[in-house]
Amino acid sequence: MTMSERRARSKGGQAFWWQVISGVLLVVLATIHMVANHFVVPGGLRTYADVVSYIGTPAIFVLETLFLVVVTSHALLGVRAIILDLSPSDRAARRLDRFLVLLGLAAIVYATTLMIRVGW
Amino acid sequence: MTAVQESGQARIGRERRPRRVDRWFDPRGLAPGQLAFVLHRITGLGLVFYLFLHLGVLSLLARGPEAWDRFIAVAKTSPVLALDVVLIFGLLFHGLNGLRLTLVSLNLGVRKQAALFWGATVLAAAGTAVAGWMIFRMGG
Amino acid sequence: MSWRLKLKIHRWRPGDRAPHYDLFEVEVPEDAYVLDAIEKVWAEQDRSLAFRHACHHASCGSCGLRINGREKLPCITPVTDYRQGSTVQVDPLRHFPLVRDLVVDMGPLARAMDEVRFSIIRQASEEVPASLPPEPPLLPDETHEATRFENCLECGLCVSACPVAGSSVRYLGPAALAAAERMLAEPRGVDPAAVWAAIDHDDGLWRCHGAFECSAACPSEVDPAAAIMRLRRYGARVAEAARGRRR
Repeated sequence: MTMSERRARSKGGQAFWWQVISGVLLVVLATIHMVANHFVVPGGLRTYADVVSYIGTPAIFVLETLFLVVVTSHALLGVRAIILDLSPSDRAARRLDRFLVLLGLAAIVYATTLMIRVGW
Repeated sequence: MTAVQESGQARIGRERRPRRVDRWFDPRGLAPGQLAFVLHRITGLGLVFYLFLHLGVLSLLARGPEAWDRFIAVAKTSPVLALDVVLIFGLLFHGLNGLRLTLVSLNLGVRKQAALFWGATVLAAAGTAVAGWMIFRMGG
Repeated sequence: MSWRLKLKIHRWRPGDRAPHYDLFEVEVPEDAYVLDAIEKVWAEQDRSLAFRHACHHASCGSCGLRINGREKLPCITPVTDYRQGSTVQVDPLRHFPLVRDLVVDMGPLARAMDEVRFSIIRQASEEVPASLPPEPPLLPDETHEATRFENCLECGLCVSACPVAGSSVRYLGPAALAAAERMLAEPRGVDPAAVWAAIDHDDGLWRCHGAFECSAACPSEVDPAAAIMRLRRYGARVAEAARGRRR
């Protein structure tokens, strides 16, 4: 396979637009997360009891899970973009993609499990 | 028409060139475009670090109320609150500059991209000042 | 009135372990350009200084340099842009292989331009018509239809200014991407799908992070950053056209 053929199969555009979409979603989701967790709570930080009651609310659980998925995707797409700025080989780039997908899934599964364990 | 076949030596030479990461952080006389790029990169990396730190800290919830509430007591100390203010700036700048990048990528506001950057920076600074006041008023 | 400057010029020749700077004091007429000052240094103080120059009026793109850290064409940069008696640092362009002193190898840029099909296509001699084609029609004011030439001088200032071109060694770069945008806007017999395929990848269009330093450096109103932003939306049209063809 020539370099130009390899390049033709790259995911550059898809990754870019997912980064844009997740970024726009994050403007809303991160604002809600920050306000709900730090700016309407007395003292600015939730105690254990506050966290349990917060995460135990179904709508909040869904919202925070959505925030978790979107922020993890956006963060790891950003890391991917920075590492691609170092022109890794095609093989290294494929390994990077696999690693980041696994890391992202692990983070999402871990945090969702934690929320279920604490709040439900 | 054929594309130029790059000589093997030229391609290998290009692949072996050192990766000049320092160029990412070269201020270039505080040119707005370069400043935007540098700040977006630094805040992005900082936020990635914070994300995984935050997810790690949340594991304290699994250890029960004493562990979590002990952490909360530390989190309300001034040095940590000061770091929270830095985090707020990072979030605000990265988000607002990200919106600027979204607009220009949709071919909107391209001619005004420098003004959009300065606007995002000023808004992020103002938001940080307000948030900082609220953080220290509530948590300090 | 004359203008005095101290030129701190980057020096390196093959075999040197590291570059160094030589300081030259030079006095030129007030209406001179920085290139004139460099030439005077070469003529009167150091004949071993290597630098490129040709047209002296910003149409060839040969003389591109960094002056006080910013990319410029010294042939159109007045000496009066710098304070009388001040030290002005002169460096070669970044992100190109260094040949000697202020001269860099522009081959990577030429290859990138070829890759996006932005080349003058030399026709075989047997394809040249026996008679000249008819004159283009006159416009109402009796002038011939204007032919738009390209703004791009292929000077490489944009590539030097780009913050990721130093680390992203396979990046096509702003000049080639702007050229691709011109080829897609005005194909001239080139297959647009081939041009798009040449740039639609992680080392092409999607490597740009929107720093806009390329457009800030461009001396010729190419505005490569704006071209790249237009290209980002081009993909949607390409995809739609492909869907249309598959039905």
